[in-house]
This record gives sequence, C-alpha cells and structure tokens, in this order.
Amino acid sequence: MNTNNNVYTVIYTTIIVVVVAALLAFVSQSLKAKQDANEKAETISQMLTAAQYGTKAEMDKLSNTAKLEKYAQEIDEAYTINLKGEKVSDLPLDKVYSPGELKRQNYNIKGGANKTGEPELPVFLFKNGTVVVPIYGAGLWGPIWGYIAFEQGTPVIKGAYFDHESETAGLGAKIKDDPAFQNEFVGEKVDFSNANVFEIVKGGAPKDAEGKSLIDNKIDAITGATMTSQGLDAAIDTWLGAYANHFGVAILLGSTDMQKNPCKCASCPCEDCPCDCHCTPGQDGCHCPGCECPECSGNMKHKED
Amino acid sequence: MDAKLKETILNPIFKGNPITVLVLGICSSLAVTVTMKGALVMALSVIVVTGISSLILSLLRNTIPGRVRIIVQLVVVAMMVILVDQILKSFEATYAIDKQLSVYIGLIITNCIVMGRIEAFALGNKPWPSFLDGLANGAGYGMILLVVAFFRELLGSGTLFGIDILNRFGYVPNNLVILPPFALILLGCIVWVQRSIQKDLQEK
Repeated sequence: MNTNNNVYTVIYTTIIVVVVAALLAFVSQSLKAKQDANEKAETISQMLTAAQYGTKAEMDKLSNTAKLEKYAQEIDEAYTINLKGEKVSDLPLDKVYSPGELKRQNYNIKGGANKTGEPELPVFLFKNGTVVVPIYGAGLWGPIWGYIAFEQGTPVIKGAYFDHESETAGLGAKIKDDPAFQNEFVGEKVDFSNANVFEIVKGGAPKDAEGKSLIDNKIDAITGATMTSQGLDAAIDTWLGAYANHFGVAILLGSTDMQKNPCKCASCPCEDCPCDCHCTPGQDGCHCPGCECPECSGNMKHKED
Repeated sequence: MDAKLKETILNPIFKGNPITVLVLGICSSLAVTVTMKGALVMALSVIVVTGISSLILSLLRNTIPGRVRIIVQLVVVAMMVILVDQILKSFEATYAIDKQLSVYIGLIITNCIVMGRIEAFALGNKPWPSFLDGLANGAGYGMILLVVAFFRELLGSGTLFGIDILNRFGYVPNNLVILPPFALILLGCIVWVQRSIQKDLQEK
C-alpha cells in the first residue's frame, strides 16, 4: 500500500484525530462528576480550615464524604449579597463556589469586558460564630484564591486559607503551604472604611517585642515572593472592599471608633454628624455606617441619595 | 529473555539514561523535583505515557504516512497525557498531587524523551520491544527525578514525602535548594558521577 499518497494521508489523519477526540470527550464526560466532587471537597476543606475547624493537614486526612458531612453539620446559613451590601438570595447549604465561579465574580466586581452580570458574592455563616468569605485574584503565575473567616459582627479575622494554581514552589506557594503565614492573619482587624482594607507589607509590618504586629490591618509579606504577596494584597482589597458595605454596617455598629471621627464631608445631610462617615469619591451623598442620627440613619439608603 | 530485549530494558536505566546521557527532559526534571511525592507521580505518569504511546505507535507504524508521522505521534502522545491528567484529577488520592504538579503533567507532551523514543525506536520495532523500551526510558527518567527530588526535599524543606526528617533537629530549610538552579547543579553532579564510573562517555 502506498502510504504516501495524498488521499490516504488526509483520510488517515482525519480518522486518527476523530477517534482520539471522541475518546477524550467520552473520558472527560464520564470523569467529570468525580472531578467536580474532588474540587468541591477541596473547596469545603479550605473553608473549614479558614473557619478554624482544624488545620489543612487535618482536613486533608478526611475522606471526601467526611468533609461533606462535616460541612453539612457546621454550616449555619449561606447567602449572596450585591455590592451595596444587600442580600440577594439564599444559597442552598451544600452550595460552594468553585475557583471557576469565583473567577466569574471577580470579573463582575472589577467590571470591564469580561463582566457577565452584577456581582453576587457569597457569605457563609458557620455554627462556631465565624463568617467566611472568599477572595480571588492574580498571583505571579496564575490565579490565587482563598477564604477569610471573621468573627461574626466584628472586623477581626479568625482564620484564613489561600490556594493557588501555579505560584513558585517554596516561595509564592507559601500562601498555601505555610501555616505560619496564614496564622499571621489571625487576630488582625480589617479596616473596612479604607479602600486599602488590608495590607501585606514588604519589608515587614511594625512589631512589638513579642513579634505581634502593631498595626491592626498589616502583616508581613513573604520573603522572595513579592509579586505573589502583592497579588494577594490586591485580591484581599478588591474582595473585602466589595464586602465592605455588607460588613461595614454590621461591624461598625457598636464600634466606638466612629465616635472619634466626626463627619467632615460636606455632602453629609446632617449638620453635626458625630459619625465616622465614609464618602466614596465620585459618589453623591454620604454613607455613614452605624450612624444613629436620623438624617444619616446609618442605613444604606442614603448612599443612594 | 533474549539478550537484545534485556539490553532494551537495562540500557535506558543507566548506560543510556535519557536525562544524564541523552540530556532530554531537563525542563520538567527541574520543575517537579521539589517534593518526592510530586516526582513520584510525575515519574509514573511519564512511564505510562512513554510505554503506551510507544506501544500504540509501534502497532500503527506500518500504516502511518511518512509525511505526517510527527503529527500522528503528537496526537497519540497528547491523548495519553490528557488521559493521565484526567485520571489523576478523578481520584481522591491523586487529586492533590495533580493540583501540585499543575501544568507539568500537561507538559509531558513536550518531553523530548517521549517523542525521541517513538521516533528512534517504536517506529522501527515490533510492539512488545517498543512497549518495554518506552517503559524503561520512563523509568530511567523517573529514577533521576527521584534522586534529585530526594536531595531537594530533604535540604529544601527538611522533609521526605512530607514527613519531617531534619526540621526536628533545628535544620533551617535552604531556599536555594527549592529554586530550579539547584536542580541543575544536582543534575550536573549526577552526570559527573556517572561519567566517572562509565569511562566511555568521556570525550577524548
């Protein structure tokens, strides 16, 4: 047989490619359920780690079923919010956000060509009094994401867990692999009133003699992983910033800090506003979280005014 | 087993090792040797891919049109790599390791050992020897990977297979060992050792 003639070559390659494509499509379809289950179990173990139900190493010892059971036991409430901080809808309790979904929401927060709709950001409340929110952003080589757990009703971080696709092993990958880095977050206080809600500082955040960070919302960056640290910082700022309206209100209620900074912005509707007002530049009106005076009334309506 | 078949199996392990003698597959051996676990899974994946692709292409060897043979090889190798990747992702036990190896499993496609052995051996030999040749070359590659990973994980993280070995004695993990250049230095040392044992490799 002459294997070099044109017709033979074309038919041969066509058959090979079609057969291989069909085989791969079949395998991919039949394994998809298993792969999604693995991804979901991994996401759940990351959320449970952030919510302080154990270390990631302990979570990894559990089987997928055990992870799902534990999650079903501990989850209290899950819902989505929009950028104004209003609740959009309840989430089924077994629903988690895969990195792919976080990516889509990340585009929605940032806007631009990839935006597919208004952001619907998930909030997960756990029975141990933590509230877990995801973050997502770009590291040095690929996407990074993770979960940050707050003590309910406060801006105090209870735990954090981060994951990445392809950060440098031993350097940027420490955001995932180094529990010491994740522990730095514990006890830090996020400043929801600032656009820069949290900072990961190159060269180190100021510390006291015992090595505890002196400034509430600053921690040390990772040595040798400046770009990953910056990416994580940006991801946290973007996402927690998007949650600021939701948490800001709940958290600043009862906070004494607001008494110290009387409102100085000219657009505030009340004359002697005693509140710590946060006026977003470029937006009309004033948004005073937790304010008790009737003009501001502390709710989000006035942000729309 | 006849002598020729034995030579087919043993040659790639030491005398004609794909990494240290043919100097193929260097890129991935720098990238995946940070931990033993990663190196082991990578080694097994490459063994499976080289073995089965060699077998398939050896079976097809008399029908493949000469002008598109590289393309046919690529299609078969790529198919094997994607299958391996999909399977690793599907099992609970290997999911985490697949995540850790990320792109490097996919990059087995570009590993010169696979294409090199198919082009040099599988297209000119019967299926059974080709299959063994593929497996043996994968094993030769995997062996070096494990040796490099042993030193890199031990010195770079103080652990082996994730189990603490040196850290309990107050060892401070060396960051240089984790970076790819150190893998190259280690590979250089391995080549050096091999060449001093195997004098016929030395250039006059």
